[in-house]
Amino acid sequence: MTPLLGRTLILLSLLAASSGAVVAFAAASRPRLLEWARRFAFGYAALIIAANVVMVAALVGHDFSVSYVARVGSRSTPLWVTIVSLWSSLEGSILFWGMVLGLFIGGATFATRRRHEEYMPYAIGTWLAVAAFFSFLIAGPAQPFNTVVNPPADGPGPNPLLQNHILMAVHPPFLYFGFVGMTIPFGFASAALMLRRLGDDFLQPLRTSLLVAWTFLSVAIVLGGWWAYEVLGWGGYWAWDPVENASFLPWLVATAALHSAIVVERKGTLKGWTLTLVMSSFLLVILGTFMTRSGVFNSVHSFTQSEIGPTILGFLAVALLWSVALLAGNMDRIEGEAVRIEGASREGMFLINNLLFVLFTLTVLIGTVFPLLVEAVQDRQISVGRPYFDKMAVPIGAALLFLMGIGPALPWGRATRQQVERALLPPLLTAGAVLVLGALLGATNPWTLLTLFFGGYAIHVTMREMLLPVAKRVRGGDSPGRAFVEAQLVRGRRRFGSYIVHGSVILIMAAIAVSSTMKVSAEQQLRQGETMAIGDYTLRFFGAETRQEPHRLATIAHIGVYRGEKLIRNMQPRMNQYLTQREPIGTPDVYTRFRGDLYLSVMNIDPRAQTVGLHAIINPMVGWIWIATGTLALGAIVLLIPRRKSAAGESVALEASSHPSPRTRSREPLPGDAG
Amino acid sequence: MNRKVLLIGLAVVVPMIAVLALSLGRDPYSVRSPLVGRPAIGFTLQEVGTGTPLALADLEGKPVVINFWATWCVPCYAEHEVLTRVARMTQSQVQFIGVVYDDDPRKILQFLSERGSAYPTVVDQGGKVAIAYGVYGVPETFFVDRRGTIVAKHEGALDEASLINYIGTILGDAR
Repeated sequence: MTPLLGRTLILLSLLAASSGAVVAFAAASRPRLLEWARRFAFGYAALIIAANVVMVAALVGHDFSVSYVARVGSRSTPLWVTIVSLWSSLEGSILFWGMVLGLFIGGATFATRRRHEEYMPYAIGTWLAVAAFFSFLIAGPAQPFNTVVNPPADGPGPNPLLQNHILMAVHPPFLYFGFVGMTIPFGFASAALMLRRLGDDFLQPLRTSLLVAWTFLSVAIVLGGWWAYEVLGWGGYWAWDPVENASFLPWLVATAALHSAIVVERKGTLKGWTLTLVMSSFLLVILGTFMTRSGVFNSVHSFTQSEIGPTILGFLAVALLWSVALLAGNMDRIEGEAVRIEGASREGMFLINNLLFVLFTLTVLIGTVFPLLVEAVQDRQISVGRPYFDKMAVPIGAALLFLMGIGPALPWGRATRQQVERALLPPLLTAGAVLVLGALLGATNPWTLLTLFFGGYAIHVTMREMLLPVAKRVRGGDSPGRAFVEAQLVRGRRRFGSYIVHGSVILIMAAIAVSSTMKVSAEQQLRQGETMAIGDYTLRFFGAETRQEPHRLATIAHIGVYRGEKLIRNMQPRMNQYLTQREPIGTPDVYTRFRGDLYLSVMNIDPRAQTVGLHAIINPMVGWIWIATGTLALGAIVLLIPRRKSAAGESVALEASSHPSPRTRSREPLPGDAG
Repeated sequence: MNRKVLLIGLAVVVPMIAVLALSLGRDPYSVRSPLVGRPAIGFTLQEVGTGTPLALADLEGKPVVINFWATWCVPCYAEHEVLTRVARMTQSQVQFIGVVYDDDPRKILQFLSERGSAYPTVVDQGGKVAIAYGVYGVPETFFVDRRGTIVAKHEGALDEASLINYIGTILGDAR
């Protein structure tokens, strides 16, 4: 019964998406049909969401007649694991993908109702075409609702690694929202290209949808790193794993697009380029999906080898060629008149920013795909590892950090020498102060010192740009509280949000530089009662115990952490042996402090002889990455809060026109403006 | 039509699709052993418990299955059962050898007395043979034909069907 219901819903969603796509494209010439295209979009969303509800109900109700439940369900797992199983394995994850797509398409169709009428047929058509592909994938190669004729009494449960940490319930949904969300700006960009027009009014939905997906993706990437850090036990959070790269690539391109869209808005140029970046973000998402689901790459994330690889590759090929044709055919018509861009100006810095992001993307893309290329051409196995990526990423990252200081400090258009000096010289003080502070605290690596210097510079500029409007109002007689609300939350919300995001990114980059170059680590073999020292901590091995847990055998080391004579914490790094894994998996224990984490993992442990090989690491500043990601998300939310109509006058004018309108001209003449 | 955009686009897109298409079906987890197709490296190791030396060279003329394992390896438990059963079945045609590395002889003997054994188990003190064979993790199994050439390598626990399949290839080779 349940399998049949599920299959029917999937087939209906395929029908709704494919016929909706046809109707939507037809609506370009028959505007009457647009209303029907919207109905199909809502219908698709409702059907695919319903299919997911049916699957969750089957998982929670342990209905093993559904093939997916028989594969990943288990009566012994806790409820949260049962629900998380929805995306723990291949078929379910694609079903979930479909639901997220339904939410996005439904939401975007609703948000654009009665607006952008001439663009929407193409946008809805593109979204539903993408949706039709995923529904086809679910209905055919990745069908989760097959009927199991003789249902088993119980199932094996999901991949044990996914049950290891609660972050597994959070990281994948964020990633799916980030990945799938890129479909919406892709549809908008395709619409602009097919219509051969990118009006100022249409830039806003394009930018907003891109920012939504970007925010989810940013948080997802960091959550993934956090999970690796808390679970995998090697003491790091990023390994340039192909599948990590798969999420990083669209992020880089989307970040570039968010910035170039500002130039489009202010100067009316770079339209074709911006659309190329937006389209590429989506295409890289599909590439990433192929990488995780084709079984081509070796990674903690990969699902097992599957039949759906060729289907996704086919879709990727069609999407890539279609995008190239669309861009090549229509780009020239969309571009406004050429605008001269000054070198030492805000827009000049935006250009350099874009070039660096694209360079970064190509570097990571080449490093990721290169082993495949070599194997295809020479039949030789190679791997591209950390040294390559680190060597390339560190200088590019440092240059981007530098730009985060220079760019916002410079005014739009031509600037006088005096203006430039006044904008660029004072932040050198903060930069120097942070550099000295870092050196006093023991930083010696030149790249770390450089990062601290650039970071200090950028933070100074960010804070200045953020606080200037408030200061101006206070001087004008407003109370500080009122000035803040007026300047940041009512009028300058966009700049305020942008600078919160900038500040957070600066903090993240500094924390990455410090934590990756200034860690202290020690390894020692300990017998019961013995101690080892690391930093100002003393670690005492109290003993080891073995515990049988449902899916694993855990051997736990009990470690006392002392500072001086005082016991400040008990830590329990462990070694888990899962029944389905070849080698035991160490699970670290992390004691997070502001200055740095104490990270303990077990190299070997023998409960009979009561010995442990302990690997202890002091990881400075790692916790800052997680905190700054929280503030980054907050900044993005500030950016995304819809403007109230009454207060919107100024910012709408700002959004709507690339030519200075009376209102934009009357704004306070500030040295910098997040634009 | 902007020809430059079209050409650059195609120059990036087409090779990428080609490479990805060629990579389909590749197993990213297998580290191809350079030993496959080469003569099996000789070794002499002592049998666990008795200390009787066992040399690979003495087995020439008979196909050999060399299984690297350890008692601390949980998947090896299930695999041991399969190996023992198939080894009994094919006793007359194929020689099985278990090579235990990084382990305590007492634990090995206990393991074997609890779970039974059908073929000699030798101890690889210091893991020298495992290193010579490039063993990456346990269990890992090498299949050697009558002429002493390594025909195949399997990583991870073997199931019965694939074990019999491998044995078919080392037997068939000499016919």
